[in-house]
Amino acid sequence: MAGQSDPGGSTFTAAELEFLAEDETVEIVPNMRMDTLDFICGQYGPLRPQITAQVPLWLAVALKKRGNARDDIPDVYLVRSLIEDIKDVRFHKIGTGMEKLTGRASAIVLKHISAMEVNIVRPFTARALETFYKLDSPEMLPDSERGAVKHSQVADHGQRRPLRPNR
Amino acid sequence: VGLFVRMAKYYDIDDILAEDELVPAIFKVAANEVGLIDSSDDTNKVESGSKVELPFWLASELHLRQAVSVGFPRCFNKRTQEEIKADAAHVDLRNRCPYFYELGCKIVLLTGDKSIGPVLLVAFMTRYKEVLIKAHTTSLTVAPKSLTLLTNEEAKLYEAARSSTAAMKKWRMGGPRLQKASVLGRKRKPVE
Repeated sequence: MAGQSDPGGSTFTAAELEFLAEDETVEIVPNMRMDTLDFICGQYGPLRPQITAQVPLWLAVALKKRGNARDDIPDVYLVRSLIEDIKDVRFHKIGTGMEKLTGRASAIVLKHISAMEVNIVRPFTARALETFYKLDSPEMLPDSERGAVKHSQVADHGQRRPLRPNR
Repeated sequence: VGLFVRMAKYYDIDDILAEDELVPAIFKVAANEVGLIDSSDDTNKVESGSKVELPFWLASELHLRQAVSVGFPRCFNKRTQEEIKADAAHVDLRNRCPYFYELGCKIVLLTGDKSIGPVLLVAFMTRYKEVLIKAHTTSLTVAPKSLTLLTNEEAKLYEAARSSTAAMKKWRMGGPRLQKASVLGRKRKPVE
């Protein structure tokens, strides 16, 4: 569950991230007429047949299951295999980025990393950063050696970005 | 913060085990009634200048009281240092000492002797990369032989990566999306 006390665990389960991802907006094509749908999170619709509409993914799935709408994805199998390829390439790139860690770093900057990818590397990275912190400390290294061990550029925080605004 | 960190470590099983490792200590004073420590003769005391091996938890307390002077155990000797410099990734650190990093740090902090500090850092820098690569490949179901070379800390790193990778893979494979809570399984008798 989110925020479990086990320090070795990921903060989210994959299923929880999936749940959060279902808030993303997607396009559907309704095949029937529907008045505005009222939810706590907001209003969607009204829906008109054959007119594309922007709705959250969770609603799109629900409507599709009822046969009230269809998606706009031409070739599901092609999409799946592309996603698999993208996943592999990105993961390899993350690994390359993480290999650069050579000492104390206050943060690792991995640009444009997705939530699921962060979740996978979080336990490992947090632990590794902690060990580097202990080993690459002024209390452990003689003064002459501290410059000698090269530090990578991953210690750069980068710009602070605004968090996603509320709806 | 220091006290909080110390208390957190007090019950930490790895910290306890790490401090159980033996370290060399030279007595700076004579000590009575502790002949058990030095089995070189029959007297129930230890002479000043005696070289003994003590578990770190005891050695550090005595060191702080200036009763002994603690040194580095064999696992940090010149030979190991050379092997690390040559090919850190393939040194069997687990065999040297499963708590290689933890014990090394403790001794450095206790004695102020920083000579092995760079060795520990270089070793970890190199071996961390190996763990990174091996732990995140999803194809392995059998643990590679190199796992036996890993110290306790490295093994935990490996395990952290493996478990999150495995969890992700399990989720991708599908499986029941909604699971019924076990307490709802059976009909329960009405409460009297």
